[in-house]
Amino acid sequence: MMSSDSTDSVGEFIQGESEPSSSWVVLALGLVLSLATLILHGILFPGRDLPVISDILPVFDGVFDSGIWFFILGVMLGVFAIIATMMTEATSE
Amino acid sequence: MGDVVTSMAFFWGLMLLAYFLMQNGLGILNDVVKSMCRFALGKALGPAIDFVEGREGSASKTWMMHGLFWLILASLFTFEGLWLAYDPHALHSLSSWGYSPTSTSLLYAAGFATLYGAVGMLIISSSFHIIPKLADTELASEKNGTLVSYLWTLSVLFLVIAAHNPEILGVNIFLIATILHGLAFLAVLINLLLTVSERKSALPLPGWLIMLGMLADPVSVVATILGGIGSGSVQWLLAHLVSGTFFFATLAGISLYVSSSATGNPLWSRSLTAVTTVGAIVTITPMGYTDGKMAADMLLVGFEEISMQSTDGIAVAFLMALAIVPVMALVANIMMTLRGGDAFVENPDSAGVPEINLGTSMLLPLAVASLFVQSDALSHNPELAGLSSTLVLMVIWLVLVPLALGASQNLYPSITGRSLLSANRSRWAFWMMGWGAFFGLAITMMADFAQIEAAADSTGIVSGEVRVLGAILFYGTAIGAIMHALNALSGLYRGAPVSKGRPTSTSISRDDYSLTTPTSVRRILAGGAHLDTTVVPVGESDETGSPTELD
Repeated sequence: MMSSDSTDSVGEFIQGESEPSSSWVVLALGLVLSLATLILHGILFPGRDLPVISDILPVFDGVFDSGIWFFILGVMLGVFAIIATMMTEATSE
Repeated sequence: MGDVVTSMAFFWGLMLLAYFLMQNGLGILNDVVKSMCRFALGKALGPAIDFVEGREGSASKTWMMHGLFWLILASLFTFEGLWLAYDPHALHSLSSWGYSPTSTSLLYAAGFATLYGAVGMLIISSSFHIIPKLADTELASEKNGTLVSYLWTLSVLFLVIAAHNPEILGVNIFLIATILHGLAFLAVLINLLLTVSERKSALPLPGWLIMLGMLADPVSVVATILGGIGSGSVQWLLAHLVSGTFFFATLAGISLYVSSSATGNPLWSRSLTAVTTVGAIVTITPMGYTDGKMAADMLLVGFEEISMQSTDGIAVAFLMALAIVPVMALVANIMMTLRGGDAFVENPDSAGVPEINLGTSMLLPLAVASLFVQSDALSHNPELAGLSSTLVLMVIWLVLVPLALGASQNLYPSITGRSLLSANRSRWAFWMMGWGAFFGLAITMMADFAQIEAAADSTGIVSGEVRVLGAILFYGTAIGAIMHALNALSGLYRGAPVSKGRPTSTSISRDDYSLTTPTSVRRILAGGAHLDTTVVPVGESDETGSPTELD
């Protein structure tokens, strides 16, 4: 019979503060896998539109037709970064 | 007597009365009025007041964070306005959502967002910290100060919407914005006046600069209404009175306070501070818009073109030229106070001082340039009208924003109890904002010159291509604003805690220097020591003290 001591500490949630470098490998692998899947789709189904995405993209036709949008997207990313920081900082304690 | 001179006479009279009442109180009504004001700031607001915290510094902190967030929107609107001057159809896709901005409407909205959103809120944040310190007391109501920041933000939001479309579904948006703005301003003013009324010592001159600057805003509104706000020249005057008092005088007081507290040097000259204080009230600053549209819209009166009588014209030209005196006094005072200070951006204790250096350096040249452009605008055949919009942007982004932001950055540790998260990020943000605004607007001004010379339309090849380059460079300001906001936000949670009462007392020239703790040679020199100063180590002991035995 196993000792019950090991189960005593299970009830606590511990969030690590450090960020292991290997976690970036997982993210990079995910990105590469996504791109590979897109390429594979192009090889297996040549000339066929991507499901779902090809239905959404036409909605934005005529929207991003000026260079200013790249700059506005940059600011939007910054604003999202602020919101994300606010949420993570407030909940990290 | 013309409308402008009459309005100025009312303004000076009312300011003298306000100063007299601040010094002497209201006599037998004093206690009653103070009790009523305290009630109005607190219990009269009902349950709403319990939703905000009332810890020391919470009001100042909330106003600062709101100001930093407005800075992002302000820089974005300005960037878009500059871009649309090159490509008017860049944002036409938004018209399907009912939003069709033009360069003019975006720059007008940016004016409200920057002046009242970013600069205004940062000014009030610093005032809520500085006035209690100088009066040696506490802010009358931290809770009210915190709560009113949301009301002010809402008013700026309505102003920005109204700048795009003054009437939506038959409702005058400026009316809502003005009511909200008036209420918020009144609450801020009462809070500061109550704080000053509880002062335990004489208020130093920077404190008077801040208080008179705050008071002058509503006073100038009353004076110009009495003088005839329907006139275009009086509308122009109101815009410049607010610019010279609420923005210039308060920022002068805040910058003088910070230049001393950041470096540990006492103010270089008391006389120059007095000249700045009196000059800001007596003269008309040339810095500001060349028309009174903003003032007319906020007071819900029809906008009129400027048509000045000859007596008014002479008086205005004289008072505007005279305004260079307080500007020079302020620049010299801040520069000399900062001199030799241990005030570099590498030192996290001195974040914000580079911004104050930038703002002070740009103040005099831009004031002189504004004097030329304003004088030209008031003439019968203006030739420099094409430059005025960019020059106002330069004043805002190279003087007002750096001074307001720099002061907030420097006071951040005292207000929040923590340092900014990263001195490195603060340095990057400073360079992005400073160079972005300087080069972006300088190149835009080149395009303005090219347009005046060629008398071509703004989409012409030379002017247009230069204009878009200016807009792209100005984008650095938006990035800098985001970095500043992120730095301040993270600093609230993870910034290094600071001990209260940073050692800042020094004098400019000292013959001996008491060394109580290990410190750098730079800091000793910054404290006013010179090569012949005797450094005297002061011995310390951990032994417990005991009564001195008398023989």
